[in-house]
Amino acid sequence: MNIRRWLLAIATTAGLALLVTPGFAHHSSTPFYDSSKSVSIEGTVARFMFKNPHAFLYLNVTDASGATAEWQVELGAPVSLSRTGWTPDTLPVGMVVKVTGPPARTEGATGVLGRRMTRADDSPIVSGGRVEEVTPPR
Amino acid sequence: MQAIVQADTAGLARNLSLATVTPSFTSRSIVLLLVALVGQSFLIQTLSAQPANLPDLTGIWDGGGRARPVNGENIPWGEDNFPVLNERAVAYQQVWEEIMAPKYDCQPASSPALQYDPYHMEVTQWPDRVLFRYEKDDQLRTVWLDGRQPSAVDFSVQGFSVGHYEGDALIVTTTNFVFDVAGFDDYNGIPSSSQKTVTERYWRDGDDLRITLTVEDPMFLRAPASYTTRWIPAAKGYKIAAYECDAESSRAMIKFFPSKYK
Repeated sequence: MNIRRWLLAIATTAGLALLVTPGFAHHSSTPFYDSSKSVSIEGTVARFMFKNPHAFLYLNVTDASGATAEWQVELGAPVSLSRTGWTPDTLPVGMVVKVTGPPARTEGATGVLGRRMTRADDSPIVSGGRVEEVTPPR
Repeated sequence: MQAIVQADTAGLARNLSLATVTPSFTSRSIVLLLVALVGQSFLIQTLSAQPANLPDLTGIWDGGGRARPVNGENIPWGEDNFPVLNERAVAYQQVWEEIMAPKYDCQPASSPALQYDPYHMEVTQWPDRVLFRYEKDDQLRTVWLDGRQPSAVDFSVQGFSVGHYEGDALIVTTTNFVFDVAGFDDYNGIPSSSQKTVTERYWRDGDDLRITLTVEDPMFLRAPASYTTRWIPAAKGYKIAAYECDAESSRAMIKFFPSKYK
């Protein structure tokens, strides 16, 4: 394989490394989420809202005491997510996913900004996709 | 009696029709010919007023993270080019908080933020106008090249844009914006007024499309402020997507904001 082919292979691989939450552009995450902290949850999809300017995922999460609460997960803009293979059907109701990211700032709120997201078996949501946002939160 | 009236009416209509067919056709042809001639003359005048080698700005352009740093509190207005605010603007900033931004009600971004949003846009060049179609917020800006000026009622979120070619560049001047509480920069809570004037210079730099954008607004700025950035060609076959801002999605995170107003 010559250098040109190697470069092509690298470029192709980079193109397949899809982000779960492309860089935010509509608003800064800082006013709403505390990027000095991190929270991890695992839950069942109750609703997936694939609308601009931001996709939102609602998960039923059961804690150690057995209590279930609904968590709101903020994701990237569908207009960008669509370019990386996401569709309104990517997260069907009942699917189990894991999410990690900065928690909502409001005291007691059950919200998180999705910086890392996988299926229950830790595989990417979209086949071949990246599971973690590479751009640090602003 | 009624039947006779109907018959007479029909006959009158036939007579009128016969009497007017030929002249009507002829005058319509003359009018069409005149319109075509005037239109052709206008087109020739418009084209002859433009440089022979217009910059080719046409195409779909990618303004995302591949082309430039994504916008935020320090981008594109950073340490080197942050605007010099007057007391009025500072007072607005002091009462400002993030969730006041009209974008959370799906109000579209306007100049100078729209040009820096990390989305695609499409440029179309016609003899009498240039069209900028933005993926962000589904916005379309028309830049008139035919010398027209805004009327007294031509105020809007995107303002009224006129332009001309100057050497290898397109120069766009936009006025007649409506007041916008975050119309200069919503990341820093800087408003803009109907006195805002935005000047844009577009040119090609190899495969890239570049812009230098300057904002003047004596209502809030002590001096003009500028940034320069670029777009890169969109991936082959890419089509501008519909944005269709959704009110629920736009506001869903508002409840997580600890407001200073209780």
